[in-house]
Amino acid sequence: MFEMGGGVEVKGGKKTKKEKKKERLEGVKKEMDIDDHEIPIEDLEQRYNTNVTTGMTSTFARQVLERDGPNELKPPKGTPEYVKFARQLAGGLQCLMWVAAAICFIAFGIELARGNFTCFDNLYLAITLIAVVVVTGCFGYYQEFKSTNIIASFKNLVPQQALVIRDGRKDTISAKELVVGDLVEVKGGDRIPADIRIITAQSCKVDNSSLTGESEPQTRSPECTHENPMETKNIAFFSTTVLEGVATGVIINTGDRTIIGRIATLASGVGNEKTPIAIEIEHFVDIIAGLAIFFGFTFFVVALFIGYSFLEAMIYFMAIVVAYVPEGLLATVTVCLSLTAKRLARKNCVVKNLEAVETLGSTSVICSDKTGTLTQNRMTVAHLWFDNHVHSADTTEDQSGQSFDQSSETWRSLARVAGLCNRAIFRPDQEGIPIPRRTVVGDASETALLKFTELTIGNIEQYRNRFKKVAELPFNSTNKFALSIHELEDPLDLRYLLVMKGAPERILERCSTILIKGQELPLDEQWTEAFQTAYMDLGGLGERVLGFCNIYLNEKEFPRGFSFDPDELNFTTSNLCFCGLVSMIDPPRATVPDAVMKCRTAGIRVVMVTGDHPITAKAIAANVGIISEGSETVEDIAIRKRIPVERVNPREARACVINGGQLKDMSSDELDDALRNHPEMVFARTSPQQKLIIVESCQRLGSIVAVTGDGVNDSPALKKADIGIAMGIAGSDAAKNAADMILLDDNFASIVTGVEQGRLIFDNLKKSIAYTLTKNIPELTPYLIYITCSIPLPLGCITILFIELATDIYPSVSLAYEKAESDIMNLKPRNPRRDRLVNESLAVYSYFQIGAIQSFAGFTDYFTAMAQEGWFPLLCIGLRGNWEDTHLQDMQDSYGQEWSFSQRLYQQYTCYTVFFVSIEICQISDVLIRKTRRLSVFTQGFFRNKVLMSAIVFQILLGNLLCYCPGMPNIFNFMPIRGQWWAVPIPYGILIFVYDEIRKLGVRRAPGSWWDQELYY
Amino acid sequence: MATLKQKRTCGQRCEDFGHFVWNSEEGKFMGRTPEKWVYISLYYVAFYVVMTGLFSLAIWVLMYTLCPYAPDYQDRLSSPGVMVWPDIYGEEMVEINYNTSCQKSWMKMSNNLHDFLIPYNETNQAHCNNHNCTKGKYFIQKTYSAPNKTKWVCPFTQSMLGPCSGLEDPTFGYNCSMPCIIIKMNRIISYLPTNDTKTPPYVNCTITEGHENIAHIEYFPEGGKYDLSYFPYYGRKAQPTYVNPLVAVRFHLIGKKSAKLQCRVVSEKIEYQNIHDPYEGKVDFYLKAMK
Repeated sequence: MFEMGGGVEVKGGKKTKKEKKKERLEGVKKEMDIDDHEIPIEDLEQRYNTNVTTGMTSTFARQVLERDGPNELKPPKGTPEYVKFARQLAGGLQCLMWVAAAICFIAFGIELARGNFTCFDNLYLAITLIAVVVVTGCFGYYQEFKSTNIIASFKNLVPQQALVIRDGRKDTISAKELVVGDLVEVKGGDRIPADIRIITAQSCKVDNSSLTGESEPQTRSPECTHENPMETKNIAFFSTTVLEGVATGVIINTGDRTIIGRIATLASGVGNEKTPIAIEIEHFVDIIAGLAIFFGFTFFVVALFIGYSFLEAMIYFMAIVVAYVPEGLLATVTVCLSLTAKRLARKNCVVKNLEAVETLGSTSVICSDKTGTLTQNRMTVAHLWFDNHVHSADTTEDQSGQSFDQSSETWRSLARVAGLCNRAIFRPDQEGIPIPRRTVVGDASETALLKFTELTIGNIEQYRNRFKKVAELPFNSTNKFALSIHELEDPLDLRYLLVMKGAPERILERCSTILIKGQELPLDEQWTEAFQTAYMDLGGLGERVLGFCNIYLNEKEFPRGFSFDPDELNFTTSNLCFCGLVSMIDPPRATVPDAVMKCRTAGIRVVMVTGDHPITAKAIAANVGIISEGSETVEDIAIRKRIPVERVNPREARACVINGGQLKDMSSDELDDALRNHPEMVFARTSPQQKLIIVESCQRLGSIVAVTGDGVNDSPALKKADIGIAMGIAGSDAAKNAADMILLDDNFASIVTGVEQGRLIFDNLKKSIAYTLTKNIPELTPYLIYITCSIPLPLGCITILFIELATDIYPSVSLAYEKAESDIMNLKPRNPRRDRLVNESLAVYSYFQIGAIQSFAGFTDYFTAMAQEGWFPLLCIGLRGNWEDTHLQDMQDSYGQEWSFSQRLYQQYTCYTVFFVSIEICQISDVLIRKTRRLSVFTQGFFRNKVLMSAIVFQILLGNLLCYCPGMPNIFNFMPIRGQWWAVPIPYGILIFVYDEIRKLGVRRAPGSWWDQELYY
Repeated sequence: MATLKQKRTCGQRCEDFGHFVWNSEEGKFMGRTPEKWVYISLYYVAFYVVMTGLFSLAIWVLMYTLCPYAPDYQDRLSSPGVMVWPDIYGEEMVEINYNTSCQKSWMKMSNNLHDFLIPYNETNQAHCNNHNCTKGKYFIQKTYSAPNKTKWVCPFTQSMLGPCSGLEDPTFGYNCSMPCIIIKMNRIISYLPTNDTKTPPYVNCTITEGHENIAHIEYFPEGGKYDLSYFPYYGRKAQPTYVNPLVAVRFHLIGKKSAKLQCRVVSEKIEYQNIHDPYEGKVDFYLKAMK
């Protein structure tokens, strides 16, 4: 049902795609139609042929195992390695080069057929083109392979065991062998081995955060509490962890049929989107191909007109089309992207697909998961209310924040209650680890309190030892409180201390006094109201609030040795003294608010999409700045204006919180509207499918969407997003598989770095491409003039390949090291429709202005070299027929000297070399002007880019090596040329530099003017 | 983004293209208003006029600096090329194949030589090169003493080739088995083929294949020498009527009447071992006579 045939490469028509999508969504709906949690246990026993006390018979279990297969997630059908490699060879530019190579082969074939056995240029060119594609393909493949390895190293390979009851006997078997109907037993710390319906449970709590995003532990009990299997309490899901308690249950789904399995298959069914850079490159290839065919055709007609035969004209046509292919560009783009990928890896962002590097830069919407991404995924004490004041605790990960005033007597009592009425303990041997990171045995809120008291009071273990515990009643859902009774620290004081914590309203019921500044005051109306306000305030912050109280038991009534019975409650549990409230939350990571702020200034919208409750989601959103200060939701406005929600104009509300239930009833148009109208959005209680719908909606609105997440529930959205970002530490394997990028430090702030690098590489790629394209014209014009004016060929094919693939590669790559021209993080994300990588003005300016100047430089040098050796410019025109006649050994030059064919050929090589040198000199000037598009090069810092400087030196040295290395003339057709021919193109180089400075000056001085429109690229 | 990625039908693409060609709402033709097109065209016209002007200036300066009498450099002309006439090529090399019994065949050869020798006929030479040169030494001229500010040129007439001159035997021996060939050395300005004046360069033909088919080889002028008085060459402007000295070689074919030959101009300064230029200082050819 979910099979999409790999999905990625399928290029079905529009219709089939739609159909498949429909199918998929229907499949998702179906998955919810489970009634195993609703039917009576007897029916369940019958359905799965099992027994809730003795389990299945092992023989039947074996049969079921054979029928259903092992209980494990089928690894996502990994793309075979050869497909991955083939994909590296099939990008836009690669296709262009394949076509060019094919044309070369055809041209070579035609030449051979015509009996020309000496001209191997076309063959060499074809081979080089293929070699370039294959080599860069290998490079890209290697990069991908390396990052896949980094990701693979995270995989957890420990085989899981499960405690199963079969034939009435308990047995530990591998979780793989479990089948539907098996009776299993789980306890605190276990991973649930399959989807199970709970039969019995004792204070069982599970952590569903990887599935739903809720960080609060969920109670599991045998009662069916909701018709939705995701909401009901009697189903525990595969791969979630049991935090505490024990439970037994019957397996209702195994392997890929579990909820998690379905989500994982859902993710693999979502097609990969093309990256923005791939789209840009395709657009660019369109431009190149269009120009090439236009030029080729023009000269085809011209050649026919001049009087060449059809076949010759055809060969010229092919040669021109091929000459238009920028051979070096593929290598440049690949290297630039991998440089940035490397830079990002150093900042803990691992990129799986090179092209994804740029995607972050174009991102306009980030859909972020809350738990684990924005928050620490760790309950922490956030606020305290005592002495009629709300105090804020330090929630930062490294305890660098402000603490509150701890001098009050009330605080001491409150801390004592929090420290003593707490069953959580640290795992041993964790002295070296900072307190917030230590692992704890106990439930989330007790853990939070333990860490909090450890931080504020100090060594809590010793503290507890000083107050010997004599009795305790753990928290349960009927009482909604926990209590414990302790002896006092002072051995002379024989009273017992009863400490109690629990749901604040329940605690308040049991209190008659309240501790204010160390004084016990009667709990009157005024204090009750103060309590209510504080309780509401803290609850409104999305925090979980606990109340604390204590009492010194009367030593007469409860003398030493009194036997306290927590079940009977044979002691005072009313008229206690209220100490205060403590509220806890999964706090945001310290770096997140700043990062969200940076995203905002960068014009990126951050949308929270979480499975958690709306109130918590909204509170965290407000806390990290996703909902900015002063922004109100419709509900907030309604409350402020005291009018019904319906009468509020939704356009007034900047912020909007939508929960899964509301989302279900919305049409996609309504969702689009909501996303358009409210800049600050929070989606709560969303299912994995809904996350997908939200991403699709954003994409419909024209945004490039990044999705961050860690849970399995995020994986379909991660896949659907233009760029999926998974968390490296907390992230599940499913999420990592679906993502394009992985944050090794789980730090949302790294995304900002990614955005910055992505934008920079987009700008710099533009520069690199402009640089690379420019020389296409001086490479092409010699051939055009050769055809039309019949001069001896000024530039050979091998020489062109040397320019493209040797001397100019390093400088074009060095532009990737260029610093940003302006503060790119203060700009809006680029508009994918308007701000193209290669636009018309870039191509036209490079080709017809700078390229033209370079051509003039080349021809000046060519004619100089010819004239100084005896061939005047006017003689050169029309010379070609005799010049290329291999049988003519006494051809006269302008001075009457006679030249043999070989002597003329070496003269031609000299021309190749001077043309090469001219292009090199002009390209040095070109790389300098490409440093900036708007600013003056001097403002940018002429020598600041050290790599670029070394690239220029490299270029000159390589040029010299090619020219003056012995043996070059006969191998690569380079001749040792006279020194002054290096100098001939220099004035043109200076002209290029000055002309571009004037262009930039105009662009800066007159923004929006005609000059700006036509000449800014 | 989704809209951007949607596959458009061909009709839509054509429509888009049509919209691009003529956008009626904004009055834009190919993405620009006509007014904008005029501006951008003018800009490009101006740009290319200026560039062409600069280029022309550069070429003018180049031509201005060139010496009209001799090139600045002769990097490729360190040693002269040598060629044989009749220059009839086979597959790769010069192949002088003829049939003594077929007039058309040998006439092709003799006509080739007749055409080649036109500048060398007595009247031509008497008319333009009437300077009396001292044989046996370089004719070095520091001044432009000849008429029209030129330099004197030593005459070389057809008759100097003796039996191979085509005067006595217009067939150049191609109607029998004693064919003549002519070896010419390329001229290079200011080039002196020897260091001293004692031994002038001379042609030496060797048989590389088919030794038994050639009885003997004769050289005209005697010894196959290029007289030193024809060197150095001063260029087209200084010596407009210059003619290269020639050497004719006559082979006596016997047996199968076919051989592969190499004729080399022997002189200490003339290179002949450059594998990349087979015509430098020597020339290889096939000679074959058929009945």
